Amino acid sequence: MIALYVGCFTLASLASAQTTTDAGLLDEATAKQVFPTKPPYSPYAGHNFPTRPFFGDTHVHTSFSLDAGAFGCRLGPRDAYRFARGEELTASSGQPAKLSRPLDFLVVSDHSDGFGFFPQLMSGDPALLATPQGHRWYNQIKSGQGGLAAMDIVTSFGKNHLPEGFPLPGTPAYRSAWMEVIKAADEANDPGKFTAFIGYEWTSNDKGNNLHRNVIFRDSGAKASLIEPYTTLPPLGSPNPRDLWKWMGMCEEKTGAQVLAIAHNGNLSNGRMFPIIESFTGKKIDKEYAENRTRWEPLYEITQIKGDSETHPLLSPNDEFANFERWDKANLDLTELKKPEMLEFEYARAALRNGLLLETELGVNPYKFGFIGSTDSHTALATADDDNFFGKVSGSEPSPTRALKPFIKSDKAVIMSWEETASGYAAVWATENTREALFDAMKRRETYATTGPRMVVRFFGGFDFDAADANTRMPAIAGYTKGVPMGGDLHAAPQGKSPTFLVAALKDPIGANIDRIQVIKGWLDKDGKTQERIFDVAVSGGRKIDAEGRCKTEVGNSVDVPNATYTNTIGAGELITVWKDPAFDPALRAFYYVRVIEIPTPRWTAYDAKYFGLTLPKEVPMTTTERAYTSPIWYTP
Amino acid sequence: VKKLIREPLIHFVLLGGALFGVYFFMHRGDSVATPQDIVVTSGQIQTLAIGFTRVWQRPPTDVELKGLIDNYIKEEILAREAVKLGLDQNDSVIRRRLQQKMDFVAEEFVDGREPTDAELADYLAKHPGRFAEDRRFTFRQIFLDRQKRGDHLDADAAALLTKLKEQPSREIESLGDPLLLPQECADAPQRDVAAQFGQAFAASLSELAVAQWSGPVESGYGVHLVLLARRTDGKVPPLDEVRDQVKRDLVDARRAEANQRFFDSLLAKYHVTVQGVTPPAATTERKVAMN
Repeated sequence: MIALYVGCFTLASLASAQTTTDAGLLDEATAKQVFPTKPPYSPYAGHNFPTRPFFGDTHVHTSFSLDAGAFGCRLGPRDAYRFARGEELTASSGQPAKLSRPLDFLVVSDHSDGFGFFPQLMSGDPALLATPQGHRWYNQIKSGQGGLAAMDIVTSFGKNHLPEGFPLPGTPAYRSAWMEVIKAADEANDPGKFTAFIGYEWTSNDKGNNLHRNVIFRDSGAKASLIEPYTTLPPLGSPNPRDLWKWMGMCEEKTGAQVLAIAHNGNLSNGRMFPIIESFTGKKIDKEYAENRTRWEPLYEITQIKGDSETHPLLSPNDEFANFERWDKANLDLTELKKPEMLEFEYARAALRNGLLLETELGVNPYKFGFIGSTDSHTALATADDDNFFGKVSGSEPSPTRALKPFIKSDKAVIMSWEETASGYAAVWATENTREALFDAMKRRETYATTGPRMVVRFFGGFDFDAADANTRMPAIAGYTKGVPMGGDLHAAPQGKSPTFLVAALKDPIGANIDRIQVIKGWLDKDGKTQERIFDVAVSGGRKIDAEGRCKTEVGNSVDVPNATYTNTIGAGELITVWKDPAFDPALRAFYYVRVIEIPTPRWTAYDAKYFGLTLPKEVPMTTTERAYTSPIWYTP
Repeated sequence: VKKLIREPLIHFVLLGGALFGVYFFMHRGDSVATPQDIVVTSGQIQTLAIGFTRVWQRPPTDVELKGLIDNYIKEEILAREAVKLGLDQNDSVIRRRLQQKMDFVAEEFVDGREPTDAELADYLAKHPGRFAEDRRFTFRQIFLDRQKRGDHLDADAAALLTKLKEQPSREIESLGDPLLLPQECADAPQRDVAAQFGQAFAASLSELAVAQWSGPVESGYGVHLVLLARRTDGKVPPLDEVRDQVKRDLVDARRAEANQRFFDSLLAKYHVTVQGVTPPAATTERKVAMN
């Protein structure tokens, strides 16, 4: 880590380094000549705050997940960690794969239901093959129709219609699979360099509606092995998140480990991810629900391969960037089509708004979550870059035909593979790259989501930021000393003051420039109705922000689609500003989060078309606008 | 007796017997005609029962065991017949499975001994790069924004560099253009420099002279003038600190080597010709890697 905060850049450390320099010795005399003989240069010295974000993926499936295995994934948890660390691997489709640069952390999150099912099925287990389903899946996979089997497994799973002999917690097959997962994480974990979290996905698919959560352990296998993951199949498990939270409480009590859960793909939950009326009881959510949700679920996965869950054009008609990588045809297994009235209860921005409302009624805000992005890759490969995208499942690893294959199909709808989104990663502002530091940063929501690019995004809120804070070379110092970082809280505005925000974004060192930084505000108005408004706070290229706080001039487009290239001739490498809420009412609850928009770049489909020499149909988008979403800062009167 | 002669069943038996006789004579010596033995040994029955027990957590009942045995017999007969009909030929699933089984055979040739300390130390000594710490850099940088300075960038950089060389210890906070990255990095591992400034920038730090201002150095953001104060090569840690990692690597290497040896020994039994792709001279030299 670039250890500015430890303040070790002193003459003493320079002088003591004579044994190890490889190009000339730096003695004290030279050092004095080169560096001023003053207290440590570094103003960070003495501050213990995060100086760089760590990038990772909290959501990768391997062959240990029954559907991933059926889809053809042959790489296990060990491979997933190796790949994330930057090693070159052979993907399940037989082609070499490597990340542009290593990730800092990874969670292997295989489905807890049926851990070890796939190895059992593939070994031709007689009991499993004696069931009609087991028999059918085995034959489908053996005859190269793994995709069919996988969809059938997912669908059967959604209907809780699984064969006898399916491995359940408590059986030896289940135990040994869980121990393998733990061992792979503990082996790959390398404090200070790479963090390998132990985790799993609790895949609640009630009636085909996606209520999935990833559960992450702060601790090592010594504690995680004292328990087995929670599943969704009754009687051992349950599809109701309340039961997951109970299990999490029990887990912490029993093992002394700390755990948190991250929900994802509300966009495929058909209005059930952020309920006001609980789907399981038909009753309004209560204080107990709110307390548990906010305690156990500090983060939400807002972007991933199965689409973006920030907001929807019907919910945010004034948001030009809302129509981004939409998956809004139906629920996860396409058994129930989407209705407009469902949207409010499945997109993150609407949930943040409803959270303010519920807080006034329940005393607790159930939807007080920060943001991360992750891939939900089922290939063991955490790829989120458009020029290096290995798809959702092994069947959609790069090939000339992948874009035009259906990803999932039912009698009601079809989602094509070209609709997969090359996204995203989780950025965590932690003081060091360890399980403990990253987990704690996730708990305090000091995180943001990106759709792939490793942008650096800062966001601080307070009442005393002024323009000069944006002009210092170390805005983070002002940020942490005068305000709170993303994920934090502002209370009781001083008389006559409005919240001010220090906002900065730096492009990915090997990525595209930035178009603009926006602040998205949501609030509960005087009449108890929730509202939202978008402000452009910093824009590139000297464009004007109008009196309404908007910049209606587009940044332009430098994408050459046939060649799948772009140039950084538009946009800015870095944008920074201090912004003050021009319409603040100290009596009203509000939240603010930042959205950073990149200039247009080629979408993975354009890279495919170029590489394989394809002409893709008109409906396939060939450019994208990558982005980052920070965790909100909340204002509570 | 007359009644018997009229009995259709007798006709059937006689006729059948005659046909069988003819068939038998025509195919004498052909093993297809002779019924083959399928003996289900008590060992096999035990294996079936154990498999059942592992799944169901209880031994099979007599009825279930009979079912398992019947299934086994059926599978055996169908498998044998399928092989006779050549159904195993050109089936990629079966070939892949066979290949997988051969991988298991190859495992038998792997040196399974626990590596000794001497072997581990030797492996570490031979592959220091694999276990060495990252190279570390202590440096200051001044950023110059190409977008802001345009055509003046090179001239600005040269002028600033001259100034810095004359007065290397001057304050730098006010120099150059702002950038969200630190102006100063202390003992930063190369991978962290790469994560923040990009790989090209991190790599060029290894080329710079120590204790003087140099540049301009390119990054994804623009150009930088850099004062490299110190460059520390990563130490190779003592065996005790990386024992598990060395052991894993050594065992992996042994496996890969044994697998390759095993495959090479098989490859030696073949003369491989690839038509139309490789020049003929190279075909016998063809190196095929296991896995």
